[in-house]
Amino acid sequence: MTAASARQSGEDPFIFRVENLSKRYGPTLALRDVSLGIRRGTIHGLLGENGAGKSTLVGLISGQRVPSGGTIYLDGRPIENVDVKQMEKAGVFLVTQEPMIIDHVTAAENLMLGIWPSRSGFVNWRKLRADASRMLEGTGIDPQAMAGRLDAVARRKLNILRAMFSGGKVIILDEPTAALTVEDRAHLFTFMRELKAQGVTFIFISHYNDEILEICDACSVLRDGALAGGAEDVGSLTSEQLSELVLGRGLVLFQRERSAFAGEEPAVRLRDVASDTIGVKAFDLRPGEIVGFTGLPGAGAKELARTIFGLAPTRSGTIAFGTQAPRPLPATPRDGFDMGIAFLSDDRHRDGLVAQMSIGENISLSSLSVVARAGFLRPEAEKLLSDRYFRAMGIKAAGPATVVDTLSGGNQQKVCLGRVLATKPRLLILDEPTRGIDIGVKQDVLRIIDELSRTGVSVIIVSTDTDEIVRVVDRVCVFEDGAIREEFSGEAISSERLRQGTKEKADG
Amino acid sequence: MSQATTAAAKPTTASAPQQGGKSVLGWVLHNVVWIWLIALVVIFGLFNEYFFTTFNLQNIMVQATVLGMIGLAVALPLLVAEIDLSLPANLGFSSAIGAMAYSDLGLPWLLAMLVGIAVATLIGFFNGLCITKLKMVSLIQTLSMMIILQGGLLALTQGRTITNLPDGYVWIGQAAIGGGWPVMPIVFVIALLAMAVLLRNTVLGRSIYAVGGNPVASNTAGIRVDRIKIITFTIAGFLAGVAGFLLASWQMAITSNQGSSYLLYAIAAPIIGGVSVFGGRGNIVGVLGGVLLLTVIQVGLAIISVPSFYVGMIGGFMIFIAVAIDAIRVRYFG
Repeated sequence: MTAASARQSGEDPFIFRVENLSKRYGPTLALRDVSLGIRRGTIHGLLGENGAGKSTLVGLISGQRVPSGGTIYLDGRPIENVDVKQMEKAGVFLVTQEPMIIDHVTAAENLMLGIWPSRSGFVNWRKLRADASRMLEGTGIDPQAMAGRLDAVARRKLNILRAMFSGGKVIILDEPTAALTVEDRAHLFTFMRELKAQGVTFIFISHYNDEILEICDACSVLRDGALAGGAEDVGSLTSEQLSELVLGRGLVLFQRERSAFAGEEPAVRLRDVASDTIGVKAFDLRPGEIVGFTGLPGAGAKELARTIFGLAPTRSGTIAFGTQAPRPLPATPRDGFDMGIAFLSDDRHRDGLVAQMSIGENISLSSLSVVARAGFLRPEAEKLLSDRYFRAMGIKAAGPATVVDTLSGGNQQKVCLGRVLATKPRLLILDEPTRGIDIGVKQDVLRIIDELSRTGVSVIIVSTDTDEIVRVVDRVCVFEDGAIREEFSGEAISSERLRQGTKEKADG
Repeated sequence: MSQATTAAAKPTTASAPQQGGKSVLGWVLHNVVWIWLIALVVIFGLFNEYFFTTFNLQNIMVQATVLGMIGLAVALPLLVAEIDLSLPANLGFSSAIGAMAYSDLGLPWLLAMLVGIAVATLIGFFNGLCITKLKMVSLIQTLSMMIILQGGLLALTQGRTITNLPDGYVWIGQAAIGGGWPVMPIVFVIALLAMAVLLRNTVLGRSIYAVGGNPVASNTAGIRVDRIKIITFTIAGFLAGVAGFLLASWQMAITSNQGSSYLLYAIAAPIIGGVSVFGGRGNIVGVLGGVLLLTVIQVGLAIISVPSFYVGMIGGFMIFIAVAIDAIRVRYFG
């Protein structure tokens, strides 16, 4: 496939080009006259806030949606009747955020999904295994491993390889780093560079400036459905310039003013928390303190957070608020809320939102008993509550009656945050609260959390984003083997030190 | 009324006025069940003017009552993204229990009737337990329960038809007021109103929609998902029990396969009315529309003297049209 593209490379330096691409949904213009070109064998970054039109553009160029106007060129030739089949035939493949993997078959079979080598309708298993082994050589993936057991990077690599093997010349990666740790991300980038050397062109979508600057050759920025700018050479851009392009204004990164909590009486005391994966003897939080939980996946940070809220089974453990007597940890999320604990999940699609409900209904979902009398909802009380958090979260939508399904990722996250804050918790637990939301909304979310802590609420933030952690927490706990390995607080917190902490563990 | 319910109809109607011609089509497709219903009424009326008589209207109301009660029952598990296929069998079985509590145990008819409804409610509760606590798949669990109950009814009746029902028991199915207006549909109207209030105005109703929409998120949001599902199945069982009593009272008999003929229509009615089999979507007005549509088709085809060999086919075809149009609406208007 590389040979074929090389033959035609004479006239058009761009392997992939779109001209005046537009998409209209009813009265709204989601994408307006976007023109951009992507050079052969490069990695082209695509940035923009949630709702800037990235998903729309990706939908159009992968053939999932039909453009309202404009043309897509591949190798200088316009593509007619754009649909997924047509685009894949032409060599444009989309690797979605959620890896398309069938868990209960092997890596080899996943790789060959839909392109099984066959003879008169029967799958040629021998050839399938041989081909797959050759493809997977040097990737560290065992072709015979069940795909369900592979880690996040391996799954993503599998998808990229499948796209390549199916004849992909241009591969669109939609936020491929979303669920990856720092190390995994580095592995993925190395892999992408190798493929690039083999002549594959990538369109790389990300929220993170540092990723764009690290891996991309060129980039384009979308804002409000139009092209806001870009660079043929990302080396000419700084992170600040990139943020300014994305936001349309300068970005002020949020920085919490740390407080010293020495000597204050704890507001929350956890004792002897144990389950199959974690064991924490004692952990205290002071009123208004924000503590970061970090560590490698499976080290216990996320597990402890879920356990405290009643989402994971425990063997033992108590929690005490202020001077109250210790009580067993909640057994269910309902018990968690009733005790004054609130939890924001890292996966808002799976366990954050009810997609077909309105913003207001989602906000009140965890506080229904508060807005009801004798089991009957009080519409005024509910409206008061949802209006209040709709405004407090700064959700961008026509009103609380808007269905959440239509919102961008950042606004959906604000709805989730509004729902948990509406329960008026004493302890707030946030699992990756800024994952998958753009850099502007991220500052909003951090600010809301900071303001909440000033009212005396204790906060736990689980995050693998070390840069984020250092800007918002008073103290950090690094997890290892289900226990807290070390703690930093005050001036000792720095992202270098945290990265160092997690890295040592990865190596050891 | 429907717009206040949780279903996604709200934003579409709100943005519709700006879209001109498209909004008219959208409105038509959104109300396709009701428009199709009116169209069929007119068509049947043109074929045979008897269709428009008061007597026939009363007949339709009575026929719609039993289907409506069982249709409401079926809608509830659908709303939490489950299904209960045993409800029509539960209807027949529980009514036989009620009748036999009168004839064999000598209980007063009212108490006997309540025993029947209590049994139906318990069966619903049991189904809910199996599906939540044992994590059985509702499709298969309730299918097996359906076979058990159908067999149980046959065993109870020994293949005979129970006809020795007391006057009090059959009163509601026969009574009429002021010029032959039947009393029985009042029960359906009450059930409709109660269910509409339950789904729209209570914490339970909101929780039902949430659980059906996204059970994992509902759990994380502090809703006791299992409990909501069990309650839903229990209410469905209760409604089936009431439907069983009404059917027996109306027909003044309980056959050895009472209720089984309702199975497919009882499932079709709520789905035609817009209740999603994937849960979380649908409302009571829609269920009413589905019930009336099916009843009008049944009664209408009988009245215009379609030869009985063709009734099933034509009826099925009419349902197919309604469902197809609805699918088109979902595709283009969400």
